[in-house]
Amino acid sequence: MSLSGEFIAFISLSLVAIIGGVLLLNLTKVVHMLVALVFSFISIAGIYVLLSAEFVAFVQILIYSGAVTIIMLFGIMLTRHDDKHEPKGNFWRKLFLLLGIAGFGLAVYLGIYNLDIPAKPTTLHVSNTEQIGVELYSKHIIPFEITSVILLVALVGAIILAKKDDQEEGDRP
Amino acid sequence: MIEELLRSSPGLLNFAIFFLLAVLLLFVVLGFVTFGILSERKVMGFMQMRIGPNQVGGRWGLLQTVADVLKLLIKEDTIPKAADRPLYIIAPVIAFAPSFVVLATMPFTDKLQFADIGVGLLYYIAVSGITTVGVVTAGWASNNKYALLGGMRAAAQMISYEIPLVMSVVGIILLTGSLNLNEIVAAQEDIWFIVLQPVAFIVFMIASVAELNRVPFDLPEAESELVAGYHVEYSGFRWAMFMLSEYVYMFAMAALTTILFLGGWHPLPFLGFIPAAVWFALKFSIVIYFLIWIRVTLPRLRADQLMEFGWKVLLPVALANIFVTALLKEIFSLL
Repeated sequence: MSLSGEFIAFISLSLVAIIGGVLLLNLTKVVHMLVALVFSFISIAGIYVLLSAEFVAFVQILIYSGAVTIIMLFGIMLTRHDDKHEPKGNFWRKLFLLLGIAGFGLAVYLGIYNLDIPAKPTTLHVSNTEQIGVELYSKHIIPFEITSVILLVALVGAIILAKKDDQEEGDRP
Repeated sequence: MIEELLRSSPGLLNFAIFFLLAVLLLFVVLGFVTFGILSERKVMGFMQMRIGPNQVGGRWGLLQTVADVLKLLIKEDTIPKAADRPLYIIAPVIAFAPSFVVLATMPFTDKLQFADIGVGLLYYIAVSGITTVGVVTAGWASNNKYALLGGMRAAAQMISYEIPLVMSVVGIILLTGSLNLNEIVAAQEDIWFIVLQPVAFIVFMIASVAELNRVPFDLPEAESELVAGYHVEYSGFRWAMFMLSEYVYMFAMAALTTILFLGGWHPLPFLGFIPAAVWFALKFSIVIYFLIWIRVTLPRLRADQLMEFGWKVLLPVALANIFVTALLKEIFSLL
């Protein structure tokens, strides 16, 4: 494989994504994990850009930057700040885990190394925002509308749950 | 010129040219921030019947901000003992980096633009949201009650005002049929969108002031209740990074308002002989002046009023605007 700019970009983005994922699992403080998660999400959005799917990439950032902020608030509010790091697992368990991961990696590598997906010439990268819109509103209109109705139901349900608490408290003398 | 560069095949030379251009833009933005702060203080002084800075650098205090920045640079860099050290250090970076990154898609004139992304408008809104993560991180890492409260407020405000901001520009997207900022400007050649979408303009201005965390929506850093909000523990250059990101966002938001509503670089009729860049700068300066004017005129809102206003007034108005725009567009296309 030749060393093109796209390749360098892909390697660095995927490294950041993987390192973010590993840190997410290994860090002990919730807020640290969430910052690692942000890096992971943003570099995945970068990979979408490399695949010339800009719309998906920026929607990913738009949705997840808000979502991560909310999770961060929950992390701050619902967890204890002085969590002690507890040692976990013993040597043998770790060794077997390592062996398992290495075996899995090897199997996947052997499986996909010679995999040949014939590249079909498509026009998907040309103005793909418009194409997504046309597909969504012509072919998949019913699932799209049902999704929005379900989200609306969830929203109304959340409001009713929040309101109910309020009234009960108000009823008390 | 940049159009050709964007279309040319990538290489090291190309990379170097873009790098130099980006550094140039950074210095232009830093120059804007320097004199933007000065002009803000001058205009505020003028509106409050004061004089404003007039000592450093001649009668108009031209070097006042330079002196302030120098002071910040040589100030002691303090990190509280109980702070979360790595996050405390990385938070200003997370807050500042997106503010400069969003400038990449701004078409300043028909020739001067760094990236022509198909979803430029969405790009701006998405990337600017990352700053809030930096602000919340700063609030948490400082290990300070006021800072944490400021960070919480920043998150709540971002979530509730980003929605009206996006909804208000949907009308423009409907009229243009594109998210590309170049095409949005091109669609305004005959008539600016401020004329076609006055309601959207008002909602957009209010929501953008809230997104910029400026008075009357500066709850994350309300001096009178939270000392300084999320950056209360920061000093020296780390603090300057937060301030810088705030003013770079002011630059970006004023540029975006110019592009979306004031016709970008398009001249007024019969005045086409004035260069496009001058037109852009003029409209941009008017928006900046307007932002400063709002800051001096209005008192700060209460936190619950802020939330109520966002959800109960701005969002329904923005939704109604989308509905009416779609209806009118269909009716006019039938005629």
